[in-house]
Amino acid sequence: MKSIALGQYYPAASVVHRIDPRAKVILATLYIVCTFLCKNILSFAALVVSAVILILLTRIPLRTVFQSIKPLIVILLFTVIINIFWTTGDTLLLEWRFIRIYLEGIMQAVFMIVRILTLIVGTSMFLTYTTTPIALTDALEQLLGPLKKIRVPVHEFAMMMTIALRFIPTLVDETEKIMSAQKSRGTDFSSGSLIKRAKALIPILVPLFVSAFRRAEELATAMECRCYHGGEGRTRMRILKYRPSDFVAIGVMILLGAGLIVLNRLGIGYTM
Amino acid sequence: MDQIKISLEHVSYTYSKGTPFEIKALDDVSLNIRTGTVTGIIGHTGSGKSTMVQLFNGLTRPMEGRILLDGVDIWEKPKEIGKIRFRVGLVMQYPEYQLFEETVEADIAYGPRNMGLDEDEIRSRVAEAARFVGLSPEMLTKSPFDLSGGQKRRAALAGIIAMRPEVLVLDEPAAGLDPMGRDAILNGICEYQKESGATVLIVSHSMEDMARYCDDIIVMDHAKVRMHGPRDEIFARSDELIDAGLDIPEITKLIWLLRSRGIDVDRSIYTVDRAEQELAHLFGI
Repeated sequence: MKSIALGQYYPAASVVHRIDPRAKVILATLYIVCTFLCKNILSFAALVVSAVILILLTRIPLRTVFQSIKPLIVILLFTVIINIFWTTGDTLLLEWRFIRIYLEGIMQAVFMIVRILTLIVGTSMFLTYTTTPIALTDALEQLLGPLKKIRVPVHEFAMMMTIALRFIPTLVDETEKIMSAQKSRGTDFSSGSLIKRAKALIPILVPLFVSAFRRAEELATAMECRCYHGGEGRTRMRILKYRPSDFVAIGVMILLGAGLIVLNRLGIGYTM
Repeated sequence: MDQIKISLEHVSYTYSKGTPFEIKALDDVSLNIRTGTVTGIIGHTGSGKSTMVQLFNGLTRPMEGRILLDGVDIWEKPKEIGKIRFRVGLVMQYPEYQLFEETVEADIAYGPRNMGLDEDEIRSRVAEAARFVGLSPEMLTKSPFDLSGGQKRRAALAGIIAMRPEVLVLDEPAAGLDPMGRDAILNGICEYQKESGATVLIVSHSMEDMARYCDDIIVMDHAKVRMHGPRDEIFARSDELIDAGLDIPEITKLIWLLRSRGIDVDRSIYTVDRAEQELAHLFGI
């Protein structure tokens, strides 16, 4: 259960881990754009190569990367089926009763799979795996800073997110304790009708909510004791600083995008 | 011949087994608890006490070894582990956070109701449990969230006592209470023990409480049982207690200080009353 709490952050000493979190948010966005730039086999191949290089750079074991793809298998299969059976084109490969499979359909399916996979790998390599949730909220707060001008409470949202993240492990712990306590009094979560099982949750949820509110109140008091009054004039403990390497990384990403556009122009084989 | 109520046979438990974060919480632990005794379990933080406590009523299953209740392996029929939990009542740390019903009475009745008892029986058990922990009848109709900290703790304890467990296991029952709340809780436990003849196991950090309430003491150290024996015997080995990272009662420290100055006093003294007698005897009063 603890693994949900800590997110998927995988601590390692890699170049990607060291990139400024704001730069990583920008890089992830650019990478998403890149996946949508691809139009033919060459550019998709280049995209795959870039994803592999990215994984290698993060030093995250392939098994862990695969774990993040696993839940997507259903979606991927669905995409494959839709694309193969519903795309029409010029080159008919197979015809059987009402089923017609075209070469274009297969190509379309392959492209879509590559696009989805690189999209997930790209964003998770830059964000979830290599950036701690706290660093990520810090980065978002600063990147969205200009929105404060139109009175979007950016700081408040970021603070709420930080607090929520901070309390997930605590509440998971608490839930486990309360469950043990109620089991000791004979609560049975695993048998009986659906209604009976839902009722068995009441002795968990009531104490959990009570303690969550109590913690919230205590936290609010503690914050006020330290004169917290919102984001105005607040200085930070960890000041984010761009380093030359961050700009290099963004530059490389822009080059990748430009490269993909050039490869699209070469016009070899099927284009989507 | 003393009867054995509950025993551990070569029990081991490891957290996060097979990962780099592996922690051995219990390492080949064997012990016997005699029927009708009050046993104190002490040990420094992380010595395996809390893990052991959850093994007794089957909240966690040992990875190796067996737990015997009246000579029968509690995991013989895993589907019936729920019944074991009614026979071995566990009061966890800070049990007041488990209260959830609208009234104290309903909350105490939660355990007995899960046992499938009829309403009359439930009512009499709730009244009995409330009496043991010293909750007055008018408190029973209140919301548990309107009680004070100490009262909440007592209500939670009553919730377990109302199941009339043969074995009562308590994890730090007096932690964070003022001296009065402390006495109320510990006396309630003692009274239940005396009247029902239950076997009681108490995890505590307080040597003073151990000295006052326990017959036997188990000292845990690094996932193993370091000492297990009658209270007098354990307190006579204070140097070993200190070595296991534990504190000894203040009065024992004084006695050892006197002994180190060459004054011949009994070294197994751990209560102020006994110390008073001994000193009076020394001065020939």
